[in-house]
Amino acid sequence: MAKDNKSGKPEWYPLDNAGVLYSAIQKERYSAIYRFSAVMEERVDSAALQRAVNRTMPRFPSFGVRIKKGAFWYYCEPNSSPGPFIREDISNPCQPVRFREDGGWLVRFYYYERRISIEVFHAISDGGGALVFFKTLLAVYLRELGYAVPNECGILDVDQPPKKEEREDAYARYAGKRVLRAPLGEKAYPNTGTPEPFYSLNVTMGFLPLDILKEKAKSYGVSITEYLTAVLMKVLVEKQHRERPRRERPVALAIPINLRAWFPSKTLRNFILTVRPCIDPSLGSYTFEEILSQVHHYLRLNINRQQMQAMLTGNVRFTTNKILRLIPVALKDPVMSLSYHLAGVRPYTGTYTNPGAFLVPQAMGRHIRRMEVILGQATLPRVHCASISYGNEMEITFAGTLKETDTERDFFRFLVREGIPVKVESNRTACSELMF
Amino acid sequence: MSYCVNCGVELDDTARFCPLCHTPVVNPNQPVNDALPTPFPEERGEVPPAAKREAAILLSAMLASAAVCCGVLNLFLHPSRMWSLYVIGAAVMLWIWLVPPLLDRGMHLLLRLMLDVGAVALYVFFISLDLNGWTWYAGLALPIILWGGSLVLLLGLLLRVNRRSLLTTVTILLGSLGAFLVGVEFFIDHWIARAWEPTWSIIVLAICAGLMIPLLVVRRVPALREEARRRFHL
Ligand SMILES: [Zn+2]
Repeated sequence: MAKDNKSGKPEWYPLDNAGVLYSAIQKERYSAIYRFSAVMEERVDSAALQRAVNRTMPRFPSFGVRIKKGAFWYYCEPNSSPGPFIREDISNPCQPVRFREDGGWLVRFYYYERRISIEVFHAISDGGGALVFFKTLLAVYLRELGYAVPNECGILDVDQPPKKEEREDAYARYAGKRVLRAPLGEKAYPNTGTPEPFYSLNVTMGFLPLDILKEKAKSYGVSITEYLTAVLMKVLVEKQHRERPRRERPVALAIPINLRAWFPSKTLRNFILTVRPCIDPSLGSYTFEEILSQVHHYLRLNINRQQMQAMLTGNVRFTTNKILRLIPVALKDPVMSLSYHLAGVRPYTGTYTNPGAFLVPQAMGRHIRRMEVILGQATLPRVHCASISYGNEMEITFAGTLKETDTERDFFRFLVREGIPVKVESNRTACSELMF
Repeated sequence: MSYCVNCGVELDDTARFCPLCHTPVVNPNQPVNDALPTPFPEERGEVPPAAKREAAILLSAMLASAAVCCGVLNLFLHPSRMWSLYVIGAAVMLWIWLVPPLLDRGMHLLLRLMLDVGAVALYVFFISLDLNGWTWYAGLALPIILWGGSLVLLLGLLLRVNRRSLLTTVTILLGSLGAFLVGVEFFIDHWIARAWEPTWSIIVLAICAGLMIPLLVVRRVPALREEARRRFHL
């Protein structure tokens, strides 16, 4: 869809349907942002990092864009403002973006001690695309420091020109004929808490040995993602039960699925769908094994190529619908915000995303100590959970704008009781007044 | 390395308390290490409020076009009277009220209130131009506007810059209403008779004071305050 560059004008392209959604729900005080961090073995050389950013950005044109509001849809165009510039890290990450400020950049770079972090606005890329970008950036950074790093394990060659298929709208490419509309989920247990003053994001990270975790999941006959999903759901079911509500609501999680594993695509833009495993405690109490079995079978049953294709077709229809196209974006935004709330927030208790293992060439692995991921604020004061594994370490982050620590506390205590050692770090510096 | 005695999780060497349950770290064998950098930076980043430039431009354009339209119409319709000044003045006043706060979202409340009062004074000045009323403008309208404006500034300072409870807010509002009306009568009397004989404003002031006394009592007596909180969900 990208317009040709012959006229000399910068190329623009419309956002994919996920990008449309994240731009529509964008507010002054909320943006869909996530962060990946790499903790290096040495302190970060900021000059080398800035050089690496300057070298890497041209190879990833889909990250060097700004989003503009057209009359009917948002669109992307190459950002020609100076930057992006790396900055010293801050204690409250994943701040909202502004389309017209900060040069309009939708990707940010931070460094602190040994940590290099990137923050990405979800409208331009999903975790899968951002990790390719980040991995390449880290490789270029290490080369700037004088180490030889081969272009393996998904690292792109920054000396080559960008490829068109990396900027494709993969949703549109794989949209089929049949539409499957998931029924609007029932209102789930919201798991909200006391909001911190704007803008704070409380981040708590837990570090687990991957081999012990893998062994544990294997002993139940499930994958690591399924195991951690079930632990989180068990903890949330019990938390709701402790609060003694008049009526116990279902506990449902949004689990993003990287569609590249099912539909081959090199796109660095969004290409995900979410599934919704759900436990309804009003039917009776569930043991941990029963929740595990529910999650395991739900994910195996519902994640298949045909069903996902029909779901993404429905999403694509929305952006290509002739009537919807003629509604001005100013009217479309509030409608989309509301439907996002009804279909994407209300039926969920939280989000858990696991982009999986971060694989790097051996020459690079020597310089990276660990990897971290943070899902930025939710539209409500609730925590979101994300995890990433690197080497023999699984990193699990809970991040949210609320004061309470109940969800992460119960989660990590559960893992400790299961015999998995956990190390915890947090950006919480002051004891909250909500002490026990 | 230290562990939380409550959660059983390992903690960072710089942690003074467990981030999960806030239990303080007490480890005689290994005190908290302040020399190491903390795992996360301690410097906070601020999120500046976004300027609503688009809305400001749209609003300016709408007000300007309304003012220009009326100005042009005035040339043909009742050209003997400058009636369009009323509309233009209103547009200017609305512009001052609405647009600067959109452009500078972090604008201080007192500065904003001063601009607003200035806008009212300007609008009344436009009206006095049409009515050839410089004398009443300078002698009566301007003092009343300035008196009201200074009260509003004081209220802004009392209520917004330092937050108050609802009871206190209502008490202060009643008091300033009474004071404002006493001032209004003072200026009117002074303008008409050059002497101050307070009558109706004293009655209003007495009513305001009468309303304020029970509120003050409730505010002062803790038991009553709690009762009011419970009854009215304050
Ligand atoms: Zn603890």
